[in-house]
This record gives sequence, C-alpha cells and structure tokens, in this order.
Amino acid sequence: MDQRRELDETVNHAAHEDEGRVPRAFGRKGKAPPGSPRPRKAKAVAVAVGAVAGLLIGTFTVEMGRVVGQNRKEAPLALDADASARPWKRYGDWPKANWDKFNTLAKTDASPPPPKTGEVKKIAEAITGDPAQGQKLVFDRSRGGGCLACHAAGQASAGQQVGNVAPDLSEIGNAGRTDEWFYNYIFDARVYNPETVMPPWGAHGFFKDEEIRHMVAFLKTLKTPLQYKTAIDDPNKRPVPKEDRDNLDPMVNPGMWAIDKAKELWVVKGPSGAACAACHANAEAQFKTWAASMPRWEARVNKVLGVEEFVFRHAKATTGHAWLMQSEPNTAIAVYLRHLANGAEIKVDVTSTPAKAAAARGHQIMERKIGQLNFACLDCHNPSKGALKWIRGQWLGESKGQIPHFPTWRTSRLEIWDIRKRFQWCGVAIRADELPPEAAQYGDLELYLTSLNNGLKYNVPGIRH
Amino acid sequence: MATPTPRVRLPAKAKKGEVIEIKTLISHDMEMGTRKDADGKTIPRKIIKQFVCTFNGKELFKSDWAPGISANPYLSFFAKVNESGTFDFAWHDDDGSVYKTSSKIEVA
Repeated sequence: MDQRRELDETVNHAAHEDEGRVPRAFGRKGKAPPGSPRPRKAKAVAVAVGAVAGLLIGTFTVEMGRVVGQNRKEAPLALDADASARPWKRYGDWPKANWDKFNTLAKTDASPPPPKTGEVKKIAEAITGDPAQGQKLVFDRSRGGGCLACHAAGQASAGQQVGNVAPDLSEIGNAGRTDEWFYNYIFDARVYNPETVMPPWGAHGFFKDEEIRHMVAFLKTLKTPLQYKTAIDDPNKRPVPKEDRDNLDPMVNPGMWAIDKAKELWVVKGPSGAACAACHANAEAQFKTWAASMPRWEARVNKVLGVEEFVFRHAKATTGHAWLMQSEPNTAIAVYLRHLANGAEIKVDVTSTPAKAAAARGHQIMERKIGQLNFACLDCHNPSKGALKWIRGQWLGESKGQIPHFPTWRTSRLEIWDIRKRFQWCGVAIRADELPPEAAQYGDLELYLTSLNNGLKYNVPGIRH
Repeated sequence: MATPTPRVRLPAKAKKGEVIEIKTLISHDMEMGTRKDADGKTIPRKIIKQFVCTFNGKELFKSDWAPGISANPYLSFFAKVNESGTFDFAWHDDDGSVYKTSSKIEVA
C-alpha cells in the first residue's frame, strides 16, 4: 500500500509538469525561480529517480500510515523566513503592559532574585492599619487578580466567587500567627517556603508597605468560618465544568469555519504556481494520522516544529503562500490538518535523542517561575498544587486532557486559539511577556505536554469558554 | 472567498400546528467596507445584506443585515407548520449574487 502511494506521488509530478508550472520535487532544498522551465532530460531523470526512491522508501514498514525508517521523505520547508510577524507585537486586544523586569520562559534572570529562606523583614512593633482599607485591598481584582482568586477570606468574601487553590483564611486571625509572619507572608512568602505558589506581593511591587499593613490589620479580624449561600459560591461544592457541546457541528461550533476555509485555500495557487492540492489531492485519505505525530523535533530548524509553524514553512517552500502563524489562512489549515486526524491516537516521538532532550527541557520549563505573579505552569496545572481547583470562577485543568481539543474555538474571545496562542496568554495572564509563537521554548513545552497525552484522541476544533 | 455554502437544518417530519426550529448557517467573510489593505486602500464592502425564507412560495421570515453582521452567520428561528411543503432560503449578497437552498417538510 505504501509503495503505491509513493509511486503515485512521483506520477503526479510528471502530470503537473505538463501544465508548465512545476511543483517542487520532494526533498529538494533551495529555491528555483518561479515558472522556470524544466529541460526534458532532467524531467525524465527526476521521474526515474523519484520512482526508484519510491520503491526504496516503500520497503520500510508502514506504521499507522507513516513510513518508519531513516529514509522518510522530508517535506520541503522554507528555512529563510520568520514564521510569525516581525517585529513580534502582542495582539491588539490583549493587555498592553510590558513586563520586561520579570522572567519569561526565555529570560530566567530578569525578576528580582528571590530572598534567602529565613531572611524575613523584622517587624518589631504591632502592626497598625485600617481593616476596612485592608478588606478593599484584599478584595481588589485589579492587583494582579487579588487574594480572593485563591483564598476565601471571611464572610464578606462569601459572595465573591472565591477560589480554593489556597487555604481558606476565614479563621486566620485565630491561628496564633505573629504580625511579622502576616507581613512577610504577603510581602514575599519565599522567606518561609521557597516552594510557595504565593506571589511575592511586596517584593514584586503589587502592594506598598502601608497597603500590606492595612491588609494585615484586616486578616487579623478574620476569626469565624464563613457560610456560603449556594453551591456555586462555595468552591468546594461548585459543579466542575463539563464540555458536552457537539464541537464538530458547524451550527454549534463557530470554529468549524476553519474547515470550510481550509478546503477553499487548499486549491488556491500560490506565487510559485501550485496549490496544496497539487501534491495532496486527497487530504482526507493522506492525513488520517499525520497531526497525531506532531509536534516533532525537526533538525532543519533545530527545534521542535509544531503544526502551525510547519504549515508556514512547508506552504512557503512548495506553493509560495506566506501563511504566517496566527494568520487566518494558517489557522484554518492547521485546524484542518488536526481535524483530519480526529480519532487518531496521539503518538509523538520523545525517544530519539534530540526529541528526548526537548521533552526534558519542556518538563523543566513547566517548573520555571515567570512573570510579576511569579507562577510556574505546574503551580496551576499540577493536582498537588492548583489543578482541579478554582481560581475565582475558573476551573484549572491538569496537564493531561487539554491538548486533544486544541486548536479550539473560544466563545469568550470569538476566535480560534491554537496551543501556542494559549501558551502566550498563560504568560500574559500572569504578567509575563509572551514569546513569538514559534519560540523554541514553546516547542519544547508543546512536545512535552503532547507526550503526556499520548494515547488520547484528537477532537478538533474544540469549543470552550 | 469561494462561493458561500448555505446549510439548513429543520425536521423532516412534523405534526400539524407544531412549532419547529429552523437553523441556518452560511459561510461568508462579510467584508465591512471599513478595513484597509496593506497599501492603505479601503477594502470595498461585501456582505450579505438580506436573508429571506419562504414556505410554499409565501414569505415567512425576512431579515436585513448591516456591516456589523457576523462572518459565517448562524441564524435560527421558529415557525409553526400546518401543511407539508418546501422551505426556500435565499441570502442576497451586495454584489447581486443570491445563495439559495431548500428543504422539504412532511406535516401529518
């Protein structure tokens, strides 16, 4: 079966050459001027070589529709262009602040250095502050989300959709803690617990000294457990969101626009005269499992290559279309390619040497603290910390089970997000500058995360809040 | 933009007097007429400006759309059916094109 497919591809080359416009032969590097005529002799030789190569490749075992073996035919990739817009600018409808004084996934030395364990700020006298002011500050969403994102804090907070990532503080005033402990815990909890999830509210500039004193005064008044009115108010009783919409029904999921659009783009000829359809006339048959093997280590770009970046580089090399990452055509085709692999089991390579190293880097990346809020991925997405709990009204998922529905339509944003855009937002949401979507760090992270989902099946486009 | 694909979903059978839901969807980029291209020239407006549904030739539902209309708009509405027949749907484009589809219903 595989032999015939390889030969069919070389036969298609010959047929299309008759139209006077030449799709690039597989494996050929470098650029030919568009529309350059091919001498007859070279054409015959190329077809013969292609046929022999097809036979050779066909002798390797077929596994899940892919050729496994050293001599897999390489898809042409444009290596001489940036896969996303330059200069990289944050999306216009995202928060505009820049956080260059804090770590990103690419910069690990930007944030102020952490304090040494035990290096507390000495507070000799009792803290005087205004509890009413303190309550306002504790409840204030604009200060990096505020305390109630993770903590319940007394009866007044019962109707505020508090989170439960962190301990309920409603009786903290009775817990025998010193003023010095309260102050330092808010200023920079790392002096007590270097592994803490608690953001360094003072050290990273969210609250001033006087404000923290007001907050301490408020917390000291909290001495009675709170009573929630309804199950929705209580993060320990709130029903966990369950997605049950039919994401593949275009009348339910607006994200299905991508499938129509991709089919339309598939036959549009690019600057070099070819369309995707020139080599991939039957996408449905050819890509039943391809996307389930992505992302993958790609030596030619010396990093992990995801579907979206692949679409840019491969389309540019073969058709001339410059479908930049995060553009409408790129998104449509990337969604379509994954959609064609719906039902296929995710199976990414993390055993070959460079892939194994990339996945290990991806794992380490999940432990890296970034942003003004000083969070690592695992702070929210590991069940031993924040996963399967609430941040205000948002449920935090675990690392396994998210990838299969990306790219997803987001009803709260009215657009499709792929996994790279999701990574970018995770950064911005915790006040860390995002990287361009094709960043090597995102690739490592995507490979590691996808490997955690090996065995699960794609269901794309998804639909989520 | 390829020729817009209209889709319609309604029950194949219904009882006399029943209220049914008619779901419609069409793919269309809906160019507002205020965006500018890379050279700074305004991209001309091209939207679907009217949607009409008739039943057995009689107008049942008509809607005029303006540039704020969503791309790939989903529209659903309800109709009371008293007899068998054919629903005809037409989407009228700024450029004069009309995209059509029909659906039959059997009413017992």
